[in-house]
Amino acid sequence: MTPSSEQRLQNVTLPDDWRNLLATPVNLVYNWGRMYSLWPLAFGLACCAIEMMATFAARFDLGRFGAELMRPSPRQADLLIVSGTVTKKMVPQIVRLYNQMPEPKYVIAMGACATAGGPFKEGYNVVSGIDKFLPVDVYIPGCPPTPQAFLEGFLRLQEKIKRQSIFEVPWYRKDARSEEIPVPLYGPDLIDPRRIPLIKETLTKQRATRMQPTPAAEQVEAAPCEKALKLPVWDITPLPAAEALAQRLNQAIGDSCVTPEKDVLVVQPARLVEVATYLRDTPELHYDLLSNVTGVDYLGRDPRFEVVYHLYSTSRGGGPLVLKARVPEQNPELPSLVPVWPSANFQEREVWDLFGIRFTGHPNLKRILLWEGFHGHPLRKDWREPYYEEPVKPFSSRWPAGHYQAAEARNPYHDNVSYPSQYPPGVEWDPEVWSPLEEELPIVDYRELPHLRISTDKIVVNVGPQHPSTHGVFRMVLTLDGETVLHAEPVVGYLHRNHEKIGERNSWLMNMPYTDRLDYLNAMGNNLGYAIAVERLMGIEVPERAEYLRVIMAELNRVFSHMSFAGFLTNELGSAFTPFLYAFKERELILDLFEEASGSRMMCNYLRFGGVANDVDDDWLERARYLAHERLPRKLDEFEQLLNENEILVSRLKGVSILTPEKAVAYGITGPILRSTGLPYDIRRVEPYSIYHRFDFRIPLLHNGDLYDRYLIRILEAREAVKILNQALDQIPKGPIQAGKKAWQTRVPAGEVYARIEHPKGELGYYLVSNGTGNPWRYRVRSPSFINLTALSEMCRGLKVADVIVALGALDIVLGEVDR
Amino acid sequence: MFGIGIAKGLAVTFKHFIETYLDDLKYFPRRYSEVALESRQSVRGRGLFTVQYPEQERPVPEAFRFLPFLVYDIHVEGDTTRQVVRCTACGICARVCPPQCIWIVRAQDEKGKPLTAPAEFCIDIDVCMNCGFCAEFCPFDSIVMDHEYKLADYERHVGHIYNLQKLLRPAGYYARIRPNQYAARQAAKKESAAKEE
Repeated sequence: MTPSSEQRLQNVTLPDDWRNLLATPVNLVYNWGRMYSLWPLAFGLACCAIEMMATFAARFDLGRFGAELMRPSPRQADLLIVSGTVTKKMVPQIVRLYNQMPEPKYVIAMGACATAGGPFKEGYNVVSGIDKFLPVDVYIPGCPPTPQAFLEGFLRLQEKIKRQSIFEVPWYRKDARSEEIPVPLYGPDLIDPRRIPLIKETLTKQRATRMQPTPAAEQVEAAPCEKALKLPVWDITPLPAAEALAQRLNQAIGDSCVTPEKDVLVVQPARLVEVATYLRDTPELHYDLLSNVTGVDYLGRDPRFEVVYHLYSTSRGGGPLVLKARVPEQNPELPSLVPVWPSANFQEREVWDLFGIRFTGHPNLKRILLWEGFHGHPLRKDWREPYYEEPVKPFSSRWPAGHYQAAEARNPYHDNVSYPSQYPPGVEWDPEVWSPLEEELPIVDYRELPHLRISTDKIVVNVGPQHPSTHGVFRMVLTLDGETVLHAEPVVGYLHRNHEKIGERNSWLMNMPYTDRLDYLNAMGNNLGYAIAVERLMGIEVPERAEYLRVIMAELNRVFSHMSFAGFLTNELGSAFTPFLYAFKERELILDLFEEASGSRMMCNYLRFGGVANDVDDDWLERARYLAHERLPRKLDEFEQLLNENEILVSRLKGVSILTPEKAVAYGITGPILRSTGLPYDIRRVEPYSIYHRFDFRIPLLHNGDLYDRYLIRILEAREAVKILNQALDQIPKGPIQAGKKAWQTRVPAGEVYARIEHPKGELGYYLVSNGTGNPWRYRVRSPSFINLTALSEMCRGLKVADVIVALGALDIVLGEVDR
Repeated sequence: MFGIGIAKGLAVTFKHFIETYLDDLKYFPRRYSEVALESRQSVRGRGLFTVQYPEQERPVPEAFRFLPFLVYDIHVEGDTTRQVVRCTACGICARVCPPQCIWIVRAQDEKGKPLTAPAEFCIDIDVCMNCGFCAEFCPFDSIVMDHEYKLADYERHVGHIYNLQKLLRPAGYYARIRPNQYAARQAAKKESAAKEE
């Protein structure tokens, strides 16, 4: 620049408000560019994430707004869509992701859960709103919001961006540094570092006044609500079959090792392993499938705890053999059954986590759904969460003098947390210097596990919980030797929304919509299992038309579930989105039918005890018939043509991760994966429920047990489901859809029941204990995804890292069901 | 031969690609018309599946449920009109609500005797799970699930706690969004009234 021109420039005087003159055109361009190129992070938490994916799919196509580029890395993303329930276990990861995102960054809280905790707000592992940690730009109400509601929220965000001015936004200012949000810590409860002064102050105050109102676990109320804690009692006169079996066991193993009670065998804890081995190995008994293990807390009875085992025989079929072992309140301990049935592995860990019953001899007895050091065992009846209100619903504060009060107002920290004043006992707890109790730490140190003791160099790689191909918030710890996997350790609980604790407080009917949110791809199937369980306890018959409607809905759901499985699987193989998009197109059409019948796309809440909620008209049936007769078979053909012979798919899947039927049964695997190993075990045949015995359908069977068979069997099963649909739609009679009058209060006779159905993912079972009141005493969901995961380590041994992702995909887990 | 499988798969995607344009020809020159949208969204639909939201909107069926609202009737007395809230504060909705997001204060007269009307009615829409039990079990047909879903907002602490004023909608609105349900419930009401007489 010549001096003269410099001179000239200095003489130019800008108007005082030159910024304002410039602002409009600059902002126009600046904001236009930003609002049409939002890059969301590929991140989903729960049910809402499925609706978010539906928004990305063909019908609603978020790509039209320039946001189709889902970024797997937070460093390349500028939009965090928090879609689903934020749990305490997950929130440190979310905060970390947010911190890694560059400015400018935006947060959408999608759905009631992300906004404020939603229906799971009261849960002990649920954060009441992501805005407690991150600044949220747009809230989208709904549970879940429909894709159009989500688009509306997205448009709101664009409007917000449009109103920003480049001269005022904080991220270009020299003085403004983007502050990192401190990552919360896992303590006895979740610790937000920003609240440590408040925690200390509150605890000091409590200690000073000798009042300890908040720490839920420590609170012992003098007179617990009698109605709620009425112990369940029912007739336990032994049935002949149980008596005969007990006699046989007592003769074979030793005197009085089992006592029959109704249809249940109560086993002496010390003899449990012997009894189990005998039941498994005696050829004419052959109880090879340990399906369900769970605890029950009979508070006020001695011995207090009971562990229940449900056994099945895959060779003989039929109903379960129920074993029970009782343990006292002091030092509850049982021998582990993992050496007999490996499928007990995760379930015993869950019982330890939620009930505090130890299993001696368990290879890796760590907490599974919560984290090490969490204070207390939540499913004990006397354990209370921070937002605890009353033992059972409905809460008396809601009516007739229901002055609104936010749950936060009842908690001194205004957050869904509670801290013990003394932890460990006798030591005043300090949030700053804190380490978990010695006894709370795992019995087996993870670093001491045998697969880590080998002498070659091995690497531990952590996959998840935020990973685009782990089907949600699932984490696995891989121990690698080079590229070969030695051990895969699943870590779950990032979506643990306290389903069972909430379920025991709910009335029987209230649990129906909650079951929708278990396996959120199969709301109708979840409803069906729960309805069948309660109906069995109540002894009610379901009218014909309702039975048909139930089967139609469940099978429509199965078709979609299997189709989307193929979509997700190819996604995990690294292919593009084509099969996923095709599957979601059919899903939209199926969901249209659900929405019309039940009122909601995903969370149908369609079944009632003794019937269904609404009837469908002839037009609905006609469309469903077209779908079942014409469209779905055609689309399944298309799917097979698209994928079956694809050389890349075949070479990635064939012969990989082979599972033998014996191993599959031992690990408690059920559903399509079990049948892909060559074992014909389908609950619709071996223990028929509803009206499945009327339909003509095959149980597809494949024999290789590799990944390819796991893929193919689902397509074949979808075809059988279409076959059932066709028959059901043709035969459906006219008539009532509800037995008796629909009632909002249900009393269920005292007793226990375990009912299971063939879910698209495997055996979905509900174990219910009723004490004769309006609320369940114990509400347990035996979720197929969770128990199928037990075998993950076995399936992945010796695979390459890239194949592990596919092996996980072929398990077809849904995290809502894994973590419950 | 190696590659045949992939080629077969690609043929499927190519077919989809072509179909979209063939379907467009049917509606030429207005390929985004209402007629085209409706036929493409049906089970028999082919071609472009996308709804051009917000220009086009996918209508919701009658049964669709999002958030609840309260119904009031308009009574005409002489030349004045009066809003009569149907709710009697019986509390069934508050007691059947699974996440317990409904709060009702029953009105009282001066002596403290309960009246059949709500003094306060509050729904925390951030806890509501849209299950529809409140509407399903309401004996007076006074709480109904709304169709309005465009509720995204920049704030939640005040705006998402719906009070009585915010919840009220006229019966005419109810009849418009749920004509069949309205007619059926109205007929049932008349029948039971006739029975009583």
